[in-house]
Amino acid sequence: MADYGAITMPPSDRALSRKTAIVGIGETDYGADYQAERTRPEGWVPPTEETLLTTAFERALADSGLKREDIDGITTSFTYGGPPADEVAKMLGVKARFAQANGNIMAGPLPVACAAIAEGKADTIAMLFAVASRSAGRLFGGMTHSTGGTPDPDEENRTPSSYYYYHPWGWSSQAAHWALIFGHYQWKYGVGEEDLFHVARQVREHAMAQPNAVMRKELTLEAYMGSRYITRPLHLFDICIVNDGAVCLIVRRADLARDLAHTPVDVAGWGHAKVKKNKMHVMVREQLRPQLQEASAQALAMAGVSLAEVQHFEGYDASSFHLINQVEGIGFTEPGTGLAFCRDGQMTVGGRIPTNTSGGNLSQAYMQGWSQVAEAVRQLRGEAGQYQVPGAQVSMTNLAQTDQTHPIVFVRGDR
Amino acid sequence: MAEKRPDRTLGRHHDTFWEFCGQGELRLQKCESCDHLHWPVVQKCENCGERNFAWDRMSGRGKVVSWTSFERDYYRGLLPVPYDTILVELEEGPLFMSNPQGFGWQELSPDMPVKLTFVAAEDTAGEFSLPVFERET
Repeated sequence: MADYGAITMPPSDRALSRKTAIVGIGETDYGADYQAERTRPEGWVPPTEETLLTTAFERALADSGLKREDIDGITTSFTYGGPPADEVAKMLGVKARFAQANGNIMAGPLPVACAAIAEGKADTIAMLFAVASRSAGRLFGGMTHSTGGTPDPDEENRTPSSYYYYHPWGWSSQAAHWALIFGHYQWKYGVGEEDLFHVARQVREHAMAQPNAVMRKELTLEAYMGSRYITRPLHLFDICIVNDGAVCLIVRRADLARDLAHTPVDVAGWGHAKVKKNKMHVMVREQLRPQLQEASAQALAMAGVSLAEVQHFEGYDASSFHLINQVEGIGFTEPGTGLAFCRDGQMTVGGRIPTNTSGGNLSQAYMQGWSQVAEAVRQLRGEAGQYQVPGAQVSMTNLAQTDQTHPIVFVRGDR
Repeated sequence: MAEKRPDRTLGRHHDTFWEFCGQGELRLQKCESCDHLHWPVVQKCENCGERNFAWDRMSGRGKVVSWTSFERDYYRGLLPVPYDTILVELEEGPLFMSNPQGFGWQELSPDMPVKLTFVAAEDTAGEFSLPVFERET
């Protein structure tokens, strides 16, 4: 695994709020690329991080209306490795005075880029994320994850994370975490698998309106209940897809972002909280609620908005149930009510908090939190199509792992 | 005959845990400064940061807090699927990941009482005793 420790999160400082805006977004053709990988038509070449991020970058640049020479910073975020940032800049024809590796999943890279701009390291950064895991045949569990663990130089902690430690009992994988949380929740609140179905169904309905989504077939209760289990009680459709792709976000000094092609989307606030002890207890019994509360409060305070003002949410649906952890934990609905909340339409347009409106990780693409930011940008521009939230002014994204969470608040900027 | 299992994490303190298991005892690290009980093994106390531990023997009684049954073969045939895992709250407090012995997920109920036993197991480092849980009768 790549090094999650490479990122030092800038503080949730009001002085950094709305100093930067996202002015361009670019994504690869998730659905078409996924189909090509499965069917391998004649002449098909497996994508690489380089080919994917080039596509995303060119699309983001065109979307922004900026010229190539306007880009003076590049950051790269690769989950499984990729070329150095300065080589990427050369490859893309960008003269970057700021080029650096910037973590991987959407758990910090955006605040880091915003802080770099605020510090004057660059005016306009093209942030690039690419993942080519599917073509590499990666299995997200088992002994592909080592038992040795990575020594943490700060903590001298030689205990591998929960992903690796319980091998002798056969317990590993991200899916197993969500299954364990849902197993407990089922007992605590008396809900069933047919209640959980509505999360996968709702997110799928959103994906069906997205031309580039990987999964666009209607999901019926029969198909859901009849699908195989991955880690019981979770079905296949409760677990995110795995696909190759790239996302580019062009982030610019807010005062230079007012007369471009699109309404700028200001990065208004961010937060971070991590479990410090008794991880299993916090994860299973508290559903990460203390951390979700703490981090979202930081992000909202930095942005100067209240939770009631948040009109759109993009959570990290590595699993259907993990999305409910976030919707409940942040406080859009009360603990124990999330599945009924979703079933009753509160997580789509017309409900309290339209969530994962482009299909999330479950159905659109597994871009590890980056495609959720792209959707937040479309919503705040008013360009989200069928599931556009009318009058969207404030959106929150959140990357929640099993032991920490990184929310970001976005506000529609002025023109 | 010892059951084949995926590899344990070994090393300082981890080895101590497995040595106690080999003697038929489930012992967890208790911080000598703040009494915080740990599982899994740590190198320093996650509550107060100190590094000296006593190894407290657990009673072996507990209750099932959650469960997962694996139908996907993450271990490439090493553990035949499906197989079951349970999360047990030990009487002393810590949550302990384990396997049900002599029963399956279909028989689980919330807070079901269970008690510790050991099964003979083997990984690439050799034979060991694996702590698992059977129904409290």
